[in-house]
Amino acid sequence: MVIKLIGYAQSLPTRRVILTLNELGLSYELEAVTEIHTIKTDDFLANKHAFGKIPVLCDGDFKINESRAICRYLVSKYQKDAKIVLIPDDINKVSLIEQYISYELSYFDPPLTKILLQEVFNKRRGEPIDEAIVKQAREEIEKVLDVYEKILVGKDYLNGEYSLADLFHFPCAHYVCTDTQQGDIFDTRPNVKRWLDNLRNRDAYKKTYAE
Amino acid sequence: MTIRLIGYSASYPTLRVIICLKELGLPYELEPPASYQSLKDEDFIANKHPFGKMPVLFDGDFRITESRAICRYLASKYQGKHNDIILIPKDVHKAGLVDQFISYELSYYDPPLSKLVYQEKFAKKFFNKDPDPEIIKQAHEELAKVLDVYEKLLEGKEYLNGEYSLADLVLCPGTNYVYGAGHSDLWDNRPNVKNWWSRLCNRDANKKSFEEIKSFWENN
Repeated sequence: MVIKLIGYAQSLPTRRVILTLNELGLSYELEAVTEIHTIKTDDFLANKHAFGKIPVLCDGDFKINESRAICRYLVSKYQKDAKIVLIPDDINKVSLIEQYISYELSYFDPPLTKILLQEVFNKRRGEPIDEAIVKQAREEIEKVLDVYEKILVGKDYLNGEYSLADLFHFPCAHYVCTDTQQGDIFDTRPNVKRWLDNLRNRDAYKKTYAE
Repeated sequence: MTIRLIGYSASYPTLRVIICLKELGLPYELEPPASYQSLKDEDFIANKHPFGKMPVLFDGDFRITESRAICRYLASKYQGKHNDIILIPKDVHKAGLVDQFISYELSYYDPPLSKLVYQEKFAKKFFNKDPDPEIIKQAHEELAKVLDVYEKLLEGKEYLNGEYSLADLVLCPGTNYVYGAGHSDLWDNRPNVKNWWSRLCNRDANKKSFEEIKSFWENN
């Protein structure tokens, strides 16, 4: 039975899942959601996502939502049949990967999301960009990236070897590079730049972003 | 070798790890930092947490940070060893749903809850700032909508994923604070949520952990 992914291909959480599906070599059907109101209906809330969000993944009868939970599930179930290791077996390594995933959630994503909200989403809606917010968010992410620059000394990936933690960071970072004026924050830090370039060059990433 | 936990028991991410350690029957030593400011010292940042936060856990030489990652580590390594409490199920589908509920806590439950924790418990006492009634009102309303969803999620269930799991544990410390800070109606006005919270409060690990916190607040 085919995996069904309900989402919007350009949405960052959906991208996270598509990257994982592509890394694991899994085929899937994307049921595209293009209008917000369709995910706020009583039926969607009752049967797909209790908070009215995407993505939602259906694997046969099994249904799961929240992008990072979906990705962990896919890895747990299908990694053994794939040629890639996104979550290793060793408990200590896994736990450090979870730590980096928490850094992504706690420190990396929030300021980047503020920038995206202003320079991409407000712009799209024809609303003015609040430069003060962009400035503050930029200062915040610069401090965070200084930490990442140290974490990545002598390493190509956050935990040494490529893992799910690196994958989770990519969609937000890449979007800021391609669609905002703030992409230079990544380029001016050699370890961070090397990390993102390595990710960009992976087959699964090229495939995901070509679609 | 003993597990060392660096943090203040009053800080609710640290309390999350304390509850987890107690649930799993693990002995540990709590090392409170000298002060909040000491978390930003070069030494702390280089050797404990690169973002200057707590908690930090040392298990022998192994160091790990971020409370939910620490809990996952402890569960993976020790669950079932000292007692039969299972925080992360073995079954891949059950584990997936536990992850999903942990994500709900992070994405929807914690944001308004943490605002209320800060405003009601920490703002005046630790940072000498008056609580902001607008922020409290807005966070209370946001959390009310989230708990309406939890009311449905808990229909016919004792815990979020049926059986007790890490998904329930992660929201205990913050909930305890906000419940006791004048917002108990949020949980008490919803029957499924009320029963669930009551069940959680009756767990030994929570009882012990909340007792420890009570004496902290009475003495500081």
